[in-house]
Amino acid sequence: MASTGSSRGYPPESSRRGTARDPTTRPRSNTDRTAPPPPQPQAQPTAVPTGSRRTTNRPGAGGSVIGEKRTTERTHITETTITGRRVKSPSREKNASPNVAVGGGRGTPLGTAPTHMPSLHRPIEQEPPRTDGSRWGRRRANEERLSNIFERRTAPWNPEATLIPPTTAPLASRISIPPLASQMPPSKRPPPLEHMTLELQEASILEDLLFVFMGYEGQYVRFHETYNPALEPDRLAGPTFRIVSGLDPSLRDLSTAMLKMATHYGAVEAFVEVQSREEFGAVNHALCAAIRKLLRDYLVLIAQLEHQFLTSPSFTLHILHLHTLPTCHMMFQLYSLAREMLRRNSMLEDDNDDSVDDYDDVENILESLREGGDIAGASGVPGAKICKGGSVLGLLTHRLASMAGDPAARSLLSMLLREASRPYMNMLNEWLHHGMIRDPHAEFLVKEQKSIKRERLEEDYTDEYWEKRYTVRDGDVPPQLEAVKEKVLLAGKYLNVVRECGGVDVSKTGKDVPQSFDDIRFLENVNSAYAHANESLLQLLLTTHALPARLRSLKHYFFLDRSDFFSYFLELAGPELAKPAKKVNVGKLQSLLDLALRQPGSIAASDPFKEDVKVQMNEVGLTKWLMRVVSVSGIDEGATLEEQRAPVASIEDDKLIIGFNALELDYSVPFPLSLVISRKTVLRYQLLFRYLLSLRHLETLLVQAWQDHNKLHTWKHKSEHPQVELWKRRVWTLRARMLVFVQQLLYFCTSEVVEPNWNALMRRLGEVKTVDELMQDHVDFLDTCLKECMLTNSKLLKIHAKIMLTCTLFAPYTANLSKALMIADPGLALPKPGRPGNRYGSGHAVPMEVAEEERFDQARLDKLGDNVAKYEENFSRHLKILLDALNYYAATETVVLLGLCARLSTASNEADSGGTVMMG
Amino acid sequence: MVGQEHGISPDGNLEAVEEGTDRKDVFFYQSDDTRYIPRAILLDLEPRVIHGIQTGPYKNIYNPENFHVPKHGSGAGNNWAAGYAAGDSVYEEVMEMIEREADGSDSLEGFMLLHSIAGGTGSGLGSFLLERLNDRFPKKLIQTYSVFPDTQSVGDVVVQPYNSILAMRRLTQNADSVVVLDNGALTRIAADRLHVQEPSFAQTNQLVSTVMAASTTTLRYPGYMHNDLVGIIASLIPTPRCHFLMTSYTPFTGDIVDQGKTVRKTTVLDVMRRLLQPKNRMVMTNTTKNSCYISILNIIQGEADPTDVHKSLLRIRERRLATFIPWGPASIQVALTKKSPHMPMSHRVSGLMLANHTSIATLFKRILGQYDRLRERNAFLAQYKKEPMFENDLEEFDESRAVVADLIAEYEAAESSDYLNPSPEKASES
Repeated sequence: MASTGSSRGYPPESSRRGTARDPTTRPRSNTDRTAPPPPQPQAQPTAVPTGSRRTTNRPGAGGSVIGEKRTTERTHITETTITGRRVKSPSREKNASPNVAVGGGRGTPLGTAPTHMPSLHRPIEQEPPRTDGSRWGRRRANEERLSNIFERRTAPWNPEATLIPPTTAPLASRISIPPLASQMPPSKRPPPLEHMTLELQEASILEDLLFVFMGYEGQYVRFHETYNPALEPDRLAGPTFRIVSGLDPSLRDLSTAMLKMATHYGAVEAFVEVQSREEFGAVNHALCAAIRKLLRDYLVLIAQLEHQFLTSPSFTLHILHLHTLPTCHMMFQLYSLAREMLRRNSMLEDDNDDSVDDYDDVENILESLREGGDIAGASGVPGAKICKGGSVLGLLTHRLASMAGDPAARSLLSMLLREASRPYMNMLNEWLHHGMIRDPHAEFLVKEQKSIKRERLEEDYTDEYWEKRYTVRDGDVPPQLEAVKEKVLLAGKYLNVVRECGGVDVSKTGKDVPQSFDDIRFLENVNSAYAHANESLLQLLLTTHALPARLRSLKHYFFLDRSDFFSYFLELAGPELAKPAKKVNVGKLQSLLDLALRQPGSIAASDPFKEDVKVQMNEVGLTKWLMRVVSVSGIDEGATLEEQRAPVASIEDDKLIIGFNALELDYSVPFPLSLVISRKTVLRYQLLFRYLLSLRHLETLLVQAWQDHNKLHTWKHKSEHPQVELWKRRVWTLRARMLVFVQQLLYFCTSEVVEPNWNALMRRLGEVKTVDELMQDHVDFLDTCLKECMLTNSKLLKIHAKIMLTCTLFAPYTANLSKALMIADPGLALPKPGRPGNRYGSGHAVPMEVAEEERFDQARLDKLGDNVAKYEENFSRHLKILLDALNYYAATETVVLLGLCARLSTASNEADSGGTVMMG
Repeated sequence: MVGQEHGISPDGNLEAVEEGTDRKDVFFYQSDDTRYIPRAILLDLEPRVIHGIQTGPYKNIYNPENFHVPKHGSGAGNNWAAGYAAGDSVYEEVMEMIEREADGSDSLEGFMLLHSIAGGTGSGLGSFLLERLNDRFPKKLIQTYSVFPDTQSVGDVVVQPYNSILAMRRLTQNADSVVVLDNGALTRIAADRLHVQEPSFAQTNQLVSTVMAASTTTLRYPGYMHNDLVGIIASLIPTPRCHFLMTSYTPFTGDIVDQGKTVRKTTVLDVMRRLLQPKNRMVMTNTTKNSCYISILNIIQGEADPTDVHKSLLRIRERRLATFIPWGPASIQVALTKKSPHMPMSHRVSGLMLANHTSIATLFKRILGQYDRLRERNAFLAQYKKEPMFENDLEEFDESRAVVADLIAEYEAAESSDYLNPSPEKASES
């Protein structure tokens, strides 16, 4: 042992100690990163490669301080064996005969130089007691001694091992990089090869190779000049070796072939160290752990080879080559895997330092800030470029697929995949079965935005909570999950909601879940979890939170399906609503609404959700608003609806709208129902509500006009002048036509649009399978209603608005007509006195003398006739345009409009002809 | 507000018991002990019928304060004038009742008056009340369900044409809408549909109560539309004077009247078709080729699919099953309502038609003709002359006749296509 170790001429042992420590310290938890790892007892002698094997083979060296002792011993050895090497090499040469080697090899692996051992070791082992008890003190003493020794020699050659500060990779070697052999003073150079015999050359190169296989320089096999172990990219690329000149070509070729493995080993080891850093995430850590296991086996193999080399005289370079062939293959696989990973991480090129790349994920920074983490830690390596989590698994899977023809690689990769996916599967199961994400390294395919709080649902018009709080990291989905990623996302999302609502115990107990992608139950697991989550949330929504009842309640308030309460409200609030919208007292309206809602006997009184209804005024008129919506996005308004909410500007001409047109209801929905009844949908409800309200308001106006016509003496009493009567008939007829128009429209919107669609929605509610479907159905329902109520077509909207305007103007106009009529025909002002039964008309303000009765103002009447004719014409024309447009759209887009068409035409065709008769 | 007259008195209470309504407070209010009390006032000048109610099965449902029977009263003796005159004596008391009930309602929209126009109390006192109500509540609607005498046969009251004409003047001038029910038609329907040859008052009254209940379903089971009285009436009555509505109801089955156990198909189309058939009308009219509908409102109860309704409407239009006035909006309006959950019905759909049809004028014409025959002979006028109104002259008769004749003319004018723009000579005629 001492001879082999000493043959290096520089202290590789310190570094080797680091590697040796890896397997022993691996079981330590990842959390313990800060404290320098205390040396561990060598618990697994068989698995420990050369370095530790030496100590275990030494009698009496089993204590916990051994590692430390070894350090001292090793450093000491280093310079002592420089001579030893000189001694040894010839001895090896001498002992090249098989029988000697076999005989010596029995007792100790270092049988080639058994005589050196005691002499070399004894003084070293006695050294520690000379220094003080502290290990560090001892260490310092050793170093001091070392430097003393070196001072005597060339000053720059100062091979010493120091501890470098810990990285976030807990298992990484912390021993400083040994100095390069190329910097070794010439005095320490080994004898040139060309002076040796072939056997000696082979022995030397064999020994060198064994070291080289472990990643160290040998006497004759050196790092290439371009290789700088201090540079991480170089290390990751793997050391390249060159064999000093003078080696026999036959040996050289064989050695060169084997050197590849050493390069790969070095690269993989560096890879493992780098990828074990914290920021690479649990999957990488697990992968590294698996690779480490392989590396350990590799080192065991090297140890065995060394044993063979030291004991078996027949051990030749060829045999070495033969033994290492499968391992070489494995190493190559690991190496190419590592290369690929590193390429993904863009760590091969040296551009990983410019962290100015698109780190646009501001949310992530904010997130980590909010969580109290430091950005520096997270952004040390550009987050976007790290290949971790799902990508790693994806890469493995991909390689696995491409290596399908290579059984060795296959088994290797599938082992790696299985191991690497373990933490991922844990996350997946946690998410699938509990709806939770524990993903400190942002590896999981579902991404959580903690900043999106559900409180924001109240004023959120974008469904942000539902849409954005949990998203799939599209680039990071392992291919195994690619097909079911939506299901995975939804399953957890649903469970999450269920959990947040706390109603149900979401954790399934005693569940054995598949732990790897290979498991045949893997997909089944996802599917069943998805089904379960779905069921839970649907159950929660439909049963616990009574979604159907909610929807019914919404229907009461927004579609006025039992409008009695609302009629009452409109009656109460009529005077208030007639004011300009800006002057309306919302508080008063609210109290009136509450009054109407609590009216005993009304439907609303028994509605448990009536508290959630609020009155508010919208300063933008309905048509204008809808026009804006339509002009922005056409029929498919979807996402842009929300934007319409924000702009308060450009409402100049809407300032005049009265309360009736500005009134809308708001409805607050508690979580989790707000997922389904989101602001987005409430907005649609409001649009429909305002439309229905406008129709109802118009109906009310016309009915009021009717009441005037029926109740006031002016209208009711038959005039003595037939022309007046005729004129009245025209007014009545026009009013009746308008009333029919409005009522037909209202009937259409409610009975033929809302009600059937509603029933369809209710049916869907019964058979819907997923919550997202449910949400979609709900939005579809509203969109269909909007569309079929003609609210999404700008042309129809315009015409419709014109007709409505005509009607709205006409209805109050008749009130003025009453007065005008009285002036035109004073005979109508008062009933003839003195007759029983004619007691009305006493309220009229204009008392007319009986003598004046005969005065009849023809001119006035003509003017009135003209006015009415204008209204008639306006109404008829617009109605005709509307009908034409409806016919067109019924044929092209919305078939339902055909029904409306038929309706309105029954209401108006004849009327039209009547109108034209009048015109003519 | 239901004024009650002996001819059809049990209606109010029938409805009261059968309908556990969703909007109970439309016609009822709640007493202290959670009972629902109909907002009804029962008036009669003779105690017989009201005593019948007071001792009958529904005696407890009414507010006892709402019965009004004059202590000394012995009825109006089928004399309109007597009934009208009696109004003055009971005016204070009755108005007090009405106002009490009116104050008790949150959102008073109008009154409903049930009476017959043939007798004394119903037509006389009814007329009086109509006038007073109009004065007292000028903004409120007054709808009457008026039972017209059977004009095809000789009635049991000889002076019924007098009473009818006098009452019709008030109905024309003071009521906002009159649902005309015809005893003759009721009897015929009872006979045809229910196979009862000699229908009792109770059975015809059941028919009437069914119609009334159906016509107010939209109020009591509020839906999207037609949940106020004025909304229903306004669309039916385009011109103020033409406010006499006729009704049809189908199907009358054993559920309503025990004897009529027939099984029939009730699709929306069937129901709507049958509603348009004259034989189902509750009024006997002579339909001429000119007569036409001014407006129709079908109230469909039960599980009616809006698309079925739409199809039925199209079919009716295609087949020209209903002719409409040529000058105005011609539409069959439909109101869909739910069925009372408290009344099991064997048929799926039932329908009520409220229609404004010009042929109603023929009924008035017949009454007018009967009146003219009596009046020519100056028969039976002595009783009327006893009352203060007719002490001096019989001008009231003539004026009333003029009003009714005018009404008939108005309806006839509405049948012509130039209603809105008649030629000058025609205009001067009307």
